[in-house]
Amino acid sequence: MNLGTIAFNNLWRRKARMVFLLAGLLLGVATVVTLLALTRSLTAEIEHKLDSFGANIVITPRSEELSLTYGGIVLGGVAVDRQELRQLDLTRLGDILNAANIAAIAPKVLGPATVDGTRVLLMGVSPSVEFQLKRWWSVDGRAPREGPEVVVGSGAARRFGLSAGARVAINGHPFTVTGTLHETGSQDDDLFLVPLVVAQELLGKHGVVSLVEVAALCAGCPIEDMVEQIQAVLPGAKVSAIQQVVKTRLHALEQFRVFSFGVAVVVILIGALVVFVTMMGSINERTREIGIFRALGFRRGHIVRLILTEAVAVSCLAGIFGYLSGMGMTRLLLPYLATDHPHLVWDPRLAAGAILLALLVGALASLYPALHASRMDPTEAFRSL
Amino acid sequence: MAFLEIAGLEKNYRSEAGVVAALKGVELQVEEGTFLGVMGPSGSGKSTFLSCLGGLCHPSNGTIRVDGIDLYHLSGERLADFRAEYLGFVFQSFNLIPYLTALENVMLPLAIQSLATSKKRERAEEALQRVGLAQRADHLPSQLSGGEQERVAIARALVNAPPLILADEPTGSLDSATSAEIMALLTEINRTGQTIVMVTHNPDNRRYFHRMITLRDGRIAEDQTTAGG
Repeated sequence: MNLGTIAFNNLWRRKARMVFLLAGLLLGVATVVTLLALTRSLTAEIEHKLDSFGANIVITPRSEELSLTYGGIVLGGVAVDRQELRQLDLTRLGDILNAANIAAIAPKVLGPATVDGTRVLLMGVSPSVEFQLKRWWSVDGRAPREGPEVVVGSGAARRFGLSAGARVAINGHPFTVTGTLHETGSQDDDLFLVPLVVAQELLGKHGVVSLVEVAALCAGCPIEDMVEQIQAVLPGAKVSAIQQVVKTRLHALEQFRVFSFGVAVVVILIGALVVFVTMMGSINERTREIGIFRALGFRRGHIVRLILTEAVAVSCLAGIFGYLSGMGMTRLLLPYLATDHPHLVWDPRLAAGAILLALLVGALASLYPALHASRMDPTEAFRSL
Repeated sequence: MAFLEIAGLEKNYRSEAGVVAALKGVELQVEEGTFLGVMGPSGSGKSTFLSCLGGLCHPSNGTIRVDGIDLYHLSGERLADFRAEYLGFVFQSFNLIPYLTALENVMLPLAIQSLATSKKRERAEEALQRVGLAQRADHLPSQLSGGEQERVAIARALVNAPPLILADEPTGSLDSATSAEIMALLTEINRTGQTIVMVTHNPDNRRYFHRMITLRDGRIAEDQTTAGG
């Protein structure tokens, strides 16, 4: 028998109090674990969703000329016929250090074509990638697959009176309209979208692309580094990051984290208060018992150790069960909050953190009650007889 | 030098009615091995006297020496060590820890000692055997009768083999037959050389004592040598 035996016997034979103490701390830890695990899973979810919002790196051919367009107004003769990128070179993107962070590569070729004697902008895309990347594109009909199929922007569709199922001649070649885009309010409204190979054929640009959009999948992934890496493998291209997209992502995630952290702090403070109040109540109830210990020769340090041993034991249990309940709760809640990509992240660091947090909160909140118990006058204990 | 030396012992309590003097200058010397009875009416200062003797309440004035040690010149923690080494308490209404078994209650004073658990258990079993309760070792206090609980409390006071045992009305809540058994047990313990100071209300107990003092109004009113022991 030692102080530990007394502590464990007390906890074991006064189960109701232990359960209450455990519940107080467990709820706190479980809530924190739920919030953190949810944040982590939702971060993954948000990233997944944000990547669907479009590309964040654009690769264009290097040009010495400054852009002379702004807000759709073209000033001066900016030639469409400029230096192009070789499609084959794009395979080098797979060799960069952060290749794993690349979610999608969307090459396109642009060029003028003629429809009904009117010059239009033809864009060749990889339909599966492009329509996935541009989630805001809403198509009446379906995306083009292979061969002479075209999706027409809303403006162009109105201009030429086209709708899904119609036939149209582009540069004299017959195409089937598989769908029309809803109005986007952007340059996309005037496009004729055809499969990349078809466009290359029509425009006489075999094996070249005009523009590549890259979507990098990231948890604060090093976009700037990736730009440099891509630049290194494509020295003839101009690689730029779309800062706005990156910053918006980071800001959204940051706000979510700050919110979770704030809630976690409040919940833990409430948990600490529950432990404190329960421990103080327990100490006051045990006045006589503590008096007996002191009369039997227990030092103040022994009393502090006794109380803290109990607190640490309960906290440890609360940490373990709190972590498990928190993860269970996350598992239950996740499908409601993350609809596209629900994925529970089991992280041993979170488990260790939960137990440490419980121990820290339990021990700190019990420190004053323990000191208070050790300072009680033993005769006071006997007066309560 | 006497084993117990009490000189000019005073204890005042502050209450709403003002300062109450519980002890007003107690002088006493007790030899080692004495079975000392302390009697007196309620409020005469018996319990305060015993608390002071046990190092549990600081006297307002005076000194208490046990085996030459001046109790109230020891620091707080040294006083706790003194209690662990020199004293065995038998409290009024037993004061057993409800969540510990009889054996664990007896082992309690050993919990803070660096002895092997098997050794602690052995000593506690010996003490329980000495009070005739070996077969009830695994029972909780709530499963024991009043007399049995008192025996457990005595075993707990014995387990450290302290030279001084302080008992506060150990028979106060027991029937006369059980009281007699307990007194016989204490007498037997006293015969092995341990000094016992016992507070009691019951005049029948005087036959067990070597010496009996009567406190009245915070002072020793009578000091008699009795036939007991």
